[in-house]
Amino acid sequence: MNENTAIQVKNVSKNFRIPVKGHKNTLQERFLNPFQKTEYREFSALKNLSFEVKKGEFFSVIGPNGSGKSTLLKIVSGIYVADEGEVKVNGSLVPFLELGVGFNPDLTARENVYLNGTILGLTKKELDKYIDEIFDFAELRDFADMKIKNFSSGMAVRLAFSIAIRVKSDILVLDEVLAVGDADFQKKCYAYFDRIKGLKSILYVSHALDSVEKYSDRVLWLKEDRSYEIGSAEKIVNGYKNAN
Amino acid sequence: MISKNDIDLYKQFVKTIFKMRYKGSILGFLWVLLKPFFMFIILFVVFSSVSGQVGNLTSRQYAVYLLSGLVIFTFFNEGITWGMGSIMERADLILKINFKRDIVVISALTMALINFGINLMIVGVVGLVLGIQFSLASVSYILLIGLVMFLGLYGISFFTSIWMVYVRDLAHITELGLQLMFYASAVFFPVEMIPEKYRFIVEHNPIAIYIQSVREALTYQNIVNLKFVIGSLIVSVLLIIVGNIYFKHSVKRVAEHF
Repeated sequence: MNENTAIQVKNVSKNFRIPVKGHKNTLQERFLNPFQKTEYREFSALKNLSFEVKKGEFFSVIGPNGSGKSTLLKIVSGIYVADEGEVKVNGSLVPFLELGVGFNPDLTARENVYLNGTILGLTKKELDKYIDEIFDFAELRDFADMKIKNFSSGMAVRLAFSIAIRVKSDILVLDEVLAVGDADFQKKCYAYFDRIKGLKSILYVSHALDSVEKYSDRVLWLKEDRSYEIGSAEKIVNGYKNAN
Repeated sequence: MISKNDIDLYKQFVKTIFKMRYKGSILGFLWVLLKPFFMFIILFVVFSSVSGQVGNLTSRQYAVYLLSGLVIFTFFNEGITWGMGSIMERADLILKINFKRDIVVISALTMALINFGINLMIVGVVGLVLGIQFSLASVSYILLIGLVMFLGLYGISFFTSIWMVYVRDLAHITELGLQLMFYASAVFFPVEMIPEKYRFIVEHNPIAIYIQSVREALTYQNIVNLKFVIGSLIVSVLLIIVGNIYFKHSVKRVAEHF
């Protein structure tokens, strides 16, 4: 792999076998219906997909629901394995498929910062250093010792985002992270994009076409028939808009 | 390769499990001590006279007998149960983040190990009250048995934590199996109570052998079954090596089956 490449996806295919009838999850079901065959429907989520994300590139993925965007992010992030083809990642990668992963409602905000922060790859020492800034940025300084279950969802998202932007990885994988917040939160996200653009390699999935067009260097359009197009942000986003 | 973050993550997981286990309860952490204590009292009251008649144990001897059985069996029970459920329990995280999966397994087992350590301290305190002579050799031997068990449980959990995702019945099957093991390990009754022709079960059951070794060490400062313990150590290490390979290979596909 070229050293200027951050992510290389080569001929990747992924099928899911979805049980439609006679799914046997427990032994009881297996004993009671020994002769009933489980019927599966093969569902192809990705088919022979290849692309590369260069170092420092802001690379977006768009497409209708069910076109395989989330599956792609999970394969790149090492959560799913591709059936065929290969994925190579050059550098450290942190996926944000959801903000506040591992947040535990029964722990205090401070405890959750340490928990979520370490899950995202930070060390305790780094978090000790950042913790005040994290609470200041989230505007939650007075709530540090309150349990997260008493937070509003907006407060929880602000805290999660405030931790997320401390993450040190070379590559970020972002799935619809903007969808959760209000206008003010989105503004903060865009400011963060401005700051890291060109510094980190980003694989970004969103339905917010305006932001995709504004920030992306290139865009991948996954279509329902498993074909795809890659090109400049303007060209692909316009093509996508016209197709709908 | 283990990074600084892996170690911190491990500590965070253990801390969180610990806090969650006793959250909201008024006595909180005290339950770690109270549960085995009451279990001990109940069994002691019910069985001490029987064991005096059948097994020729004084009530003081029976106390040590019962205590060592409970401590070793609880460690086995918790290690098996928590190790097996570890991957399933963190499905939410495994579906979102690419951290090292074996950290959840070792965290779950660490919890069992912490409880075991606390229980050993109780044995120490009770032992002093009952006037047991602890020797360096007997204490080290008990710790060695704990280590061997921990390694064995870790090795087993590499397999069971994965199987659990595919066959959910495993939780119930294991619960039954553990209950059988509880009786087959002569935890709370003298071995003499078992009819001669079934005694081989206890004699060949590793947990029963561990328990017996701890009993001998506590009561008579005797080191017994040393060969078996060393053999188990080797088997446990092998189990970890093979288990680790199996785990690394299989865990990648686990996320699709939650």
